[in-house]
Amino acid sequence: MKWTPQDIETYLNAKEYVDTAVIPLFSVSMGDDMKQSAAALEFINLLTGYLERQFTGRLILFPPFTYLNSKNEEVILSDLKDWEASLVKEEIHHIFYITSDIDWRDREKDLNGTLIWLPAIPLEHMNDSQKVAIIDSQVKQLLGLFTQKWHESE
Amino acid sequence: MSKQRVSRRQFLSYTLTGVGGFMAAGMLMPMVRFAVDPVLKADEGGDFIATKQKVADITDEPVRVDFTFKQKDAWYESEVTNTAWVYKDDAGKIVALSPTCKHLGCTVNWNTDKEHPGQFFCPCHYGRYEKNGQNIAGTPPLAPLDVYPFKEKDGFLYLGKAKPRKEA
Ligand code: FES
Repeated sequence: MKWTPQDIETYLNAKEYVDTAVIPLFSVSMGDDMKQSAAALEFINLLTGYLERQFTGRLILFPPFTYLNSKNEEVILSDLKDWEASLVKEEIHHIFYITSDIDWRDREKDLNGTLIWLPAIPLEHMNDSQKVAIIDSQVKQLLGLFTQKWHESE
Repeated sequence: MSKQRVSRRQFLSYTLTGVGGFMAAGMLMPMVRFAVDPVLKADEGGDFIATKQKVADITDEPVRVDFTFKQKDAWYESEVTNTAWVYKDDAGKIVALSPTCKHLGCTVNWNTDKEHPGQFFCPCHYGRYEKNGQNIAGTPPLAPLDVYPFKEKDGFLYLGKAKPRKEA
């Protein structure tokens, strides 16, 4: 389910079937890294969008958690932990973070959710069918990770 | 006497709400029409979209066929890729099924559940369907998979808009 009024309404009527959240983590940088930051956004957006289509009925794709790259690390982390806490209250037991920002690898241990770090593949010079092929192959590798987590909890 | 009097503040807020309402309606109506229009169009025209699948290559084993078309969403035009499961049934007739699970909309796969081979399987809540798309009782989905109308043109498969199956 996406973060749209229709999908959220479906969620509210079928909460018992939805136990998973996907939260994209976006770092926004200025100056030299701006372009890279934008490329990461395009990549993660397409990827999470496609993932959502595979698992529409069991997960909610949240609006991205977006932070300024230069911001104090601890503040970023504690903000995200607040999200985590409120999700657990909603009976969402599986949380997946998807990001291209390598800094999260050091913070992973402080998170309860599963961190999926993927280096952004620059898509800007590809046509749509090439993009689809790339995203498709990336997502295929992720699908197993999700079903495995679900199995473990049953 | 003061009971009936409308204060200046009330008067202002009444009139402003009225004007605001008009303005909102004026803005919303065209937006709604934009958003709904393409959907209606697709319905009337029953457009068929070309796939890369050669009709001659279709066997009795369901294969995944992707096809892409343009969709307009308010101001934004984007390419949408849809998928169908395509095979020939026992009578040699082509069947093109929508992969969207009728429970809550996950994408179903062919033959991925080891315990129940030869079925469509939904990984989300373990919904299952027969090869012909019929939902299997006792699993969450309550309806059979939607069916794509199809056409053959120059040897290639063309697909229309998936429709719910009429109950037999
Ligand atoms: S969405 Fe397919 S079984 Fe629930």
